[in-house]
Amino acid sequence: MPERTVTIASRTGLHARPAKLFVQAAQAQGVPVRIRVGDGKPAPATSMLAVLALGAVHGTEVTLAAEGPGAEAALDSLAALLARDLDAEEASGG
Amino acid sequence: MRETAPLPLDPRAVRLDASAAGRDDAIAQCGRALVEIGAVEPSYVEAMLERERSISTYVGEEVAIPHGTLAAKNVVRHDAICVLRFPGGVDWDGERVTVCVGIAARGDGHVRLLSELAQILMDPDRARALREADEVSEVVRLLHPTEEDQ
Repeated sequence: MPERTVTIASRTGLHARPAKLFVQAAQAQGVPVRIRVGDGKPAPATSMLAVLALGAVHGTEVTLAAEGPGAEAALDSLAALLARDLDAEEASGG
Repeated sequence: MRETAPLPLDPRAVRLDASAAGRDDAIAQCGRALVEIGAVEPSYVEAMLERERSISTYVGEEVAIPHGTLAAKNVVRHDAICVLRFPGGVDWDGERVTVCVGIAARGDGHVRLLSELAQILMDPDRARALREADEVSEVVRLLHPTEEDQ
């Protein structure tokens, strides 16, 4: 299954706001995407609670996985989102 | 792999039967509960409203988790949560909210708090118990799971 491993760039981790932006982006993908920390249990990237439960802080490596048509593009797009400091965008953009 | 610790919930910051005129009123009440237990300075309330305007803190299961912006971390005195229940429901940008868990945390503390809370809410039985508990002590116990509960 195609995968991407990416380091959480948001300063305060994958918490409420960055998590919400990530979940919304995952919901907009045409394929189901799962997210896990290390060898942990994969969780649906579209579930806010499941994503918060990961407890991923700044610097945590997470792995995204998806299968089927559009999987590669979906993974690229979501990995790119996690590699951005979404908290910094709040500070500058209001 | 992950550290677990009790959520810092002071029983004085639990209200089982609150009512609010709307989302912002509910958030202000959460903020005041955190002020009253000495966890935050009064200016934290405005930071919670600001955060909510930026993006909704609704997480599912009729629960919202209002908290302040990054910039407001310096007015947090100690990590704390509060639990306010709104049995009549609050319209939260189109979602119905009956439980607000207000959060104040310094540094990375809130990530752990949110993780603990999310794991409780992902269990439908515990989420329902949180919505329906009749006693403050029951709410405190739900959020302080013992080893045997996990």
